[in-house]
Amino acid sequence: MKRGTKFRSTLITLLLLSPGLLTFFLLFFYPMMVTLTRSLRPEGEKIGWTIEHYVTFLSESRAWEVIILTFVLSIGATLCSILLSIPLGLALRQKLRAHRFYRLTMITPRVVPGLIGALGLLLLFGSRGWVNLFLIRFVPFIHEPVSINYTIPGLILFYTWLYFPFIALTTLAALEGLDPAIEEAADVAGANRWQVLRHVVIPLIMPAILAGSVLTFMASFGAFSIPLIAGGNHRPLSVEIYRQIDFTPARWSAASARAMIMAVLQVVFLTIYMRILRRPIT
Amino acid sequence: MTFIRQYLNAILRSRKLLVQTLLLCFALMIYTPFLMIALRSVGRGWFGRRWLPPELTLDWYRWAVEVTNIVEITKNTLLIAVLAVLISTAIAIPTGWALGRKNIPGKELLMSILLLPRMIPPIAFALGVAQIFYRTDLINTHIGVALAHVSVCAPYAILVLSATFEALDERVLEAAGVCGANPLRSFVHVVFPLILPGVLASMIFTFTTSYNEFTLTLMTYGKDTVTLPVRTYLAIGEGYWEVTSAMSILLVIPSIIVLFMIQRQVAPEKLVGGFKGV
Amino acid sequence: MSDDYMIELRNVTKRYGDLVANDNVTLQIRRGELMTLLGPSGCGKTTALRCITGHNIPDEGRVLIDNQDVTEVPSYKRQLGMVFQNFALFPHMTVFDNVGFPLMIRRMNKAERRERVMEALRLIRMEEYEKHYPRQISGGQQQRVGLARALVYRPKVLLLDEPLSNLDAKLREEMRFEIRELIDRLGITAVYVTHDQAEALALSDRVAVMNAGHIEQVGTPDEIYDFPRSRFVADFIGLSEFLAGTVSTISTEDATAVVTVKGLEIHVALTPEMTPGQNVLFFIRPNDVALLPASHKSGTNIFDAIVDKMTYLGDRSDYRIQLGESLGLRVQTDGKVRFDEGENVKVHLPIPHCRVIMDHA
Repeated sequence: MKRGTKFRSTLITLLLLSPGLLTFFLLFFYPMMVTLTRSLRPEGEKIGWTIEHYVTFLSESRAWEVIILTFVLSIGATLCSILLSIPLGLALRQKLRAHRFYRLTMITPRVVPGLIGALGLLLLFGSRGWVNLFLIRFVPFIHEPVSINYTIPGLILFYTWLYFPFIALTTLAALEGLDPAIEEAADVAGANRWQVLRHVVIPLIMPAILAGSVLTFMASFGAFSIPLIAGGNHRPLSVEIYRQIDFTPARWSAASARAMIMAVLQVVFLTIYMRILRRPIT
Repeated sequence: MTFIRQYLNAILRSRKLLVQTLLLCFALMIYTPFLMIALRSVGRGWFGRRWLPPELTLDWYRWAVEVTNIVEITKNTLLIAVLAVLISTAIAIPTGWALGRKNIPGKELLMSILLLPRMIPPIAFALGVAQIFYRTDLINTHIGVALAHVSVCAPYAILVLSATFEALDERVLEAAGVCGANPLRSFVHVVFPLILPGVLASMIFTFTTSYNEFTLTLMTYGKDTVTLPVRTYLAIGEGYWEVTSAMSILLVIPSIIVLFMIQRQVAPEKLVGGFKGV
Repeated sequence: MSDDYMIELRNVTKRYGDLVANDNVTLQIRRGELMTLLGPSGCGKTTALRCITGHNIPDEGRVLIDNQDVTEVPSYKRQLGMVFQNFALFPHMTVFDNVGFPLMIRRMNKAERRERVMEALRLIRMEEYEKHYPRQISGGQQQRVGLARALVYRPKVLLLDEPLSNLDAKLREEMRFEIRELIDRLGITAVYVTHDQAEALALSDRVAVMNAGHIEQVGTPDEIYDFPRSRFVADFIGLSEFLAGTVSTISTEDATAVVTVKGLEIHVALTPEMTPGQNVLFFIRPNDVALLPASHKSGTNIFDAIVDKMTYLGDRSDYRIQLGESLGLRVQTDGKVRFDEGENVKVHLPIPHCRVIMDHA
């Protein structure tokens, strides 16, 4: 009897899990497999194996430019997000009067479609946008509109705008969770504000910063709609993939090869990064 | 001018003022893009180096509705989103229940696996989804696009619901039983009210995820299933910033509603967080 | 005679909104003494301490350390040592780095730093733990590390904010001795904050009893215990029984007075403030009252009574007795001779233990 009920309970659990598992297989695993096989097929064919797409892509010098660009954008956005989130967190943890408003502001980029954010940023930083109007009017040595849109620094700025909330959220949470007595102890021991920040606060919140930065990095790495409309001539890997399909006839195999490369790169980088995170800091 | 100079001096002296000024700049940074879109959508003749459009007009909105058939497109977007929510929730409830309440070996590993679709660049597996849909004639169908959305909506829904179900205290159910409620009444009067907030939260975010989804839609849409994000993208390509802006305002409305809804929470960020264990 | 104090609070007032945490507090702490700020939660003792450390800036008044006005000097410039209730060790640093932190901030070179840290660790007997992290050592050990960190740069003043509250009772007693010993050995001035009166009496050179933002009384533990000057102090320290009464007569020759409490005439020790006709609060500690069998002969301050309630507490017995018509009194004895409920007894209130507080009702 006991064995029977255990079997039954396991069966029920499996049944309950099946929708999720099915979704995973049909809508993720299967498509990934299709992409993988397609990447190894000659273009337009349904049979036969070849690695030409990988070879062709990786042997182009352009390919490496694209890959490096993707990493530059992701790492740049992550670093800028960290630089933004730390002061932001320090400012908000004191719970000034409007802090709820600012917390809401912090998550706004995550709630709106990335496309809209990118559009707004394009308008804002364009040659007729407010930023350039401000610079020309108030900054003495600028007389022509500064080119921000469609440049790499501009893209990094856009990515940061969109994806910094991941880091800001974890950083703020960590700062609020710090025992104030620890900072007071450092204080009494003779450390001024910068020293307390440098030696005590930042080391203690670093794990949270890194955890958030994983998400920012992932989002930046896989960003598609933003570089599509705001990248100009700079095309990271995601846009490269799409371009292959834009050809007539669509180059599915070439696109699939690039997609697999992109997926592998992201997984490898993430694994290394997570390994580094695991090393105990606290 | 002197006012600005006085302000700058005051900032240097008071740390608090400096912090508040910087925070204000931060808020500006986040909100001005939207302001610009809004202004562009109602401006006429806004060329050259002007801060504000010289004339206001609703022409662009009219254009969006009449010429680009925005109403039809919005209907598409909503229909697809509703389908995505229904399917995702139907998937997430049993899966979330199992993950939240049952003892499963390797649960964390399983969760990470189920979250994989959000860890791979969307374009990478959107490619595969598109190819499958071409073969099975799901391209340009509402259900097809909805299913594509489910692949990224369901993991999040599962995550939220498993947390909700996990938080449901076994002892509350026992207490209901002891008070004399049979399983059905227990569910209606005790379980359902307790899980409702979590289920609603999951549905709201699934809805916005689908409504805002671009990459997957781009790969699986057709002339009958154009959604707002895709149409906005196409409009950007066409170069009419004004109409695009009008469309964008329409596109951003649900997000604003959601923001409004969650701003009453003490910690709104808890609802829009990243994932545990990632 | 110059008043040379190590720490002075002069008319310090600190407000939080409507709440006055410190109300015109004036306190002088002598060099080399251990002064305890004692009082219940919310009395303002921690606020006063934080005015000394610099974590609070008083709204009014001045703070002086070693004759220098430090009221507006930030915390990190005051060169103090502080020990916290929850230890506040840096979780991401080893014991060695924790203790060496103040020296690192002061840019001491590595060799000298090592020497000082090991010296401090030896003082607290934790040299083998130098490479451990705070999470790997016990609460008591963490507190010792906190002490070492506070003392390693030889500050002039050591401040302790309820350092023993988070330790269990037995450890608390051990640590009490260690702390006192350490402070004596280093000859340092110390300010100790606690709500535990036993701790305060055991440790301190002087005690400042605080209540609702102001200081009720400052004195040695003896003075506080034997000669409390207000009802609050008498009540807060040790057990007390209070009876309202009036001064009838004064006798300066034998330094006694008679206080009439509800018809009973009690002889008390005379204090200078007493005048006939004055309303006073008579008080005596329940464990100073002697219970005698009814057959005992009568005498000064020996009254008839009936035992109302008796509670056996093992090493003590707690009695409620009824004196005369309407006077209730609590008595605690060492339990060697026991009386039953309803029994007639005689109660002796020894004159040296009969005290009086001016009734500021």
